[in-house]
Amino acid sequence: MRHWTEDLEDDADEPLVRPYTITGGRTTAGRDDLTLITLITVRATPGTDTAAGRPALQPEHRAVLRLCARRPVAVAEIAAELDLPVSVTKILIGDLIDAGRVRARPPLAFAHNGAHPDMTILEAVRDGLRGL
Amino acid sequence: MGFAGSDPAQTAQAVKILIAGGFGVGKTTLVGAVSEVAPLHTEEYLTRASVGVDDLVGIDAKTTTTVALDFGRITVSDELVVYLFGTPGQERFWFMWNDLVLGALGAVVLVDTRRLEVSFASIDFFESRGVPFVVAVNCFHNVRDRTPEEVRTALDLDPQVPLVMCDARERTDGRDVLLTLIEHLMARRSAPRPTV
Repeated sequence: MRHWTEDLEDDADEPLVRPYTITGGRTTAGRDDLTLITLITVRATPGTDTAAGRPALQPEHRAVLRLCARRPVAVAEIAAELDLPVSVTKILIGDLIDAGRVRARPPLAFAHNGAHPDMTILEAVRDGLRGL
Repeated sequence: MGFAGSDPAQTAQAVKILIAGGFGVGKTTLVGAVSEVAPLHTEEYLTRASVGVDDLVGIDAKTTTTVALDFGRITVSDELVVYLFGTPGQERFWFMWNDLVLGALGAVVLVDTRRLEVSFASIDFFESRGVPFVVAVNCFHNVRDRTPEEVRTALDLDPQVPLVMCDARERTDGRDVLLTLIEHLMARRSAPRPTV
């Protein structure tokens, strides 16, 4: 059993704010449909769901909105840019979906239970790689 | 599936490819060689809730660990982005990270001929999960001390699984490894498959 202090020097660049403080103590997303490569886009016309009592947007929420303003961005990329763990990022994105500010586009499912990617996708990836 | 016209925000697709293999075989190097951006870094807490109770037999139920993930991006078009995820070093944890594993197009298992054994677990994992993969032999500094046949035998690799030699630092080599995977996927797609 390792002692808890053994890895401390590795954590020197950890943020001083505990990540779950940003989420108001929530440690799990209310939704489980967000994946690492779910694409997030800002809704051009924010939804009308602005019910009173909804918590105000945190700076991190606004950072997500800024990141996704110009092109769709994957959840993992948002987590990397915000320097937050993926699960914390998913909670923030879930808030924005609930508030009607962003839209999530789920990835296609592949590689399981005999599901195969569409040939059109494979050809597009191949052609894109050839251009590298 | 349309790639023509329309608003990318509505039609954009993201796909992912896993770059696996043991510790120190050059996964992040390969990701960085082909990615259009410097490899991005993120972390995830894997806890009982995120890995599933059944998978934790023999592991303390309170175990929470932080796994680090390096990944890159290749924008194929306005409407299609490929994300390359270098799998975290701690295999016993990322194997249980469903969000990482599920939905991948396929995987590249990178091997180092001096330490083939560190990549065995990844090969076993993809074989057992039915995730299509190719093996890329990272010839550090272009040292080719084993032939592809020797590596294939040492890995006890299914003859259907492509094996290529590469230098993970070279962009063109990384690209060719990924192309080998995509062509392998296309061949599987067009081959007649037994109906189960």
